[in-house]
Amino acid sequence: MQFSSESVETLVEQFSRLPGIGRKTARRLAAFVLKQPKSDVVEMAEALIAVKEKVIFCSTCFNVADHDPCPVCLSDRRDGGVICVVEEASDLMAVERTGGFSGKYHVLGGAISPLDGIGPEDLKIKELIARVAAPGDGPVVREVILAVNPSVEGDTTAYYISQLLAPFEVQVTRLARGIPIGSDLEFTDEATLTRALEARVSV
Amino acid sequence: MIIDRIHIRGLRAHNDSTVTFDAGVNAIVGPNGVGKTNILEAIHMLCLSRSFLTSKDNVILRRGSSLMEIEGHFTKDAGGSQKVRLAFVPGEGKKLFVGGSPLERMTDLVGRFPVVVFSPDDQRLTAEGPEFRRRFMDNIISQSSPVYLDNLLRYRQVLKQRNELLHASRRARRTPDEMVLESLTRELVMPGAAIIADRMAFIEAFAKHLDDAHQKISEVAEKPGIAYAPFGRAGIPEADIDSEDGSFPKGGITIPNESREQRARREKRVFELYADQLERNRRHEIARGMTLYGPHRHELDLTLDGHPVRRFASQGQHRTYGMALKLAQYDYMQHRREERPLLLLDDVFDNLDPARIEAFLAILGSDAIGQSITTAARREIVHNHLDPSACRTIFVARGGEVLEDETSIEKVPPKATAPREEPASPLADSLTND
Repeated sequence: MQFSSESVETLVEQFSRLPGIGRKTARRLAAFVLKQPKSDVVEMAEALIAVKEKVIFCSTCFNVADHDPCPVCLSDRRDGGVICVVEEASDLMAVERTGGFSGKYHVLGGAISPLDGIGPEDLKIKELIARVAAPGDGPVVREVILAVNPSVEGDTTAYYISQLLAPFEVQVTRLARGIPIGSDLEFTDEATLTRALEARVSV
Repeated sequence: MIIDRIHIRGLRAHNDSTVTFDAGVNAIVGPNGVGKTNILEAIHMLCLSRSFLTSKDNVILRRGSSLMEIEGHFTKDAGGSQKVRLAFVPGEGKKLFVGGSPLERMTDLVGRFPVVVFSPDDQRLTAEGPEFRRRFMDNIISQSSPVYLDNLLRYRQVLKQRNELLHASRRARRTPDEMVLESLTRELVMPGAAIIADRMAFIEAFAKHLDDAHQKISEVAEKPGIAYAPFGRAGIPEADIDSEDGSFPKGGITIPNESREQRARREKRVFELYADQLERNRRHEIARGMTLYGPHRHELDLTLDGHPVRRFASQGQHRTYGMALKLAQYDYMQHRREERPLLLLDDVFDNLDPARIEAFLAILGSDAIGQSITTAARREIVHNHLDPSACRTIFVARGGEVLEDETSIEKVPPKATAPREEPASPLADSLTND
């Protein structure tokens, strides 16, 4: 099926470029936009442009923000002695949603991946080491939590950073691996189950 | 484990076919090119998510078809049936469902429905390059220990990254970032050591199965030998660690009577040896721009009375050795998982001499083997050597039409008819559709 209008087709094309959106979903989204009042569509379009125009990166943690430094870095109620290192800003939001972390963050902007041409110099690793080495007015950094993805690239990056942090008096930790909450043991893949068994904890 | 029934849609010769199987010997008979092998491929896809002939799903898709769908009903040895469904749409990929729930990763399927394939290609196991023997080992161990496949996939991904780092640096005529190389080396050695330690333990146990299998099918008393020695002839001494190191083991296969602690120590020792090997050869690897050491390069040495099979064996010896390896695979997997694998035989009888066919069919019919499904261009190949009542025959006619007639075998003397196409009617009406 094709829309008879070229501008609708262009919109479908644009939507289908978004991650996780196939052509079918793109068509549904385009059809939805067609039905919406013009004011709503303008609002959406403006939001899209504003993201590129207004959003900046915090010069301390490199999270996306409207102001520099970002609210998290500015907050006195958060513990500057603990830094949670994530690959992307979206990972930060995931940790933040837990509500269980009250330290500060550092966004690397990706992970080491020679296949994608990404080396340590393309990531905010130097800046992380600098934060640990010279905390400035802030408290001494006691712990760095490496909350990177459990992928080859994430693990490589974690090991790389841990080696750089070795000379400092800072505890370097990683997220545990195990069984997702709410899932069924029976349907957990064996590899995850094996790792979870290895990293078992006393009750 | 047995497969009771399979429904195939949109796979090569099969537009819409249903085949029912017996628990024992099943023979799929029909002229060349009608889709006999496709039925085996379909079964294989339900067990390991891919065909044994190709990894490209587009090739298997029926021409002009927009969907391939395979559904199989299995019965486990311990009882209890399970339905596996695989759907493939070009451009959208494959989806797998076990008992109705979707599998997140294709690899989660591996090992649940153990399968062993015999094919004319088995001769390449002994006659051609080491990659065939590595694949053979990896297939068995993956089906025996899910962690192995996990380590293997991980190893391959790190290998790609590490090779790219070395290669790109060489191209740009600069040395790679030392710490990135060190990080990737460590990430490589972790799964690498687990793979090596698993393979060593596997070979240790497998040798006995190979010996038995070879004895069963070879007329002459030759002794097969199998060795995996990634760090030279010397065995692996235990690492002298008394304190527990939680990072080991990553692999799952143990040598008989080996405790988990011993296994952990052995893997740690392999880790050290492998890490040391890479460390010593770093400049060499940088100069060559690729990873030169590790499980992706290792050889599995096969011998017959002490002579390397690849160089010294005759055609007949290659054939016997290849079959013995597969038979040993079956035996090993059955012992390890306490679940009888499915045995698929693709045109293996067509090139065998009568004595070997006899010996082999005797094994298929014996208690040693559970369910087997074999293809043959001519039904006599099977029926001359096996009691027809002990064998289910499935005819495939042109166009992939599947005709099942258990009864006609008793009526028609096995030797009386030449290979023929089965009449479409009235047998077609008896097609089991449920």
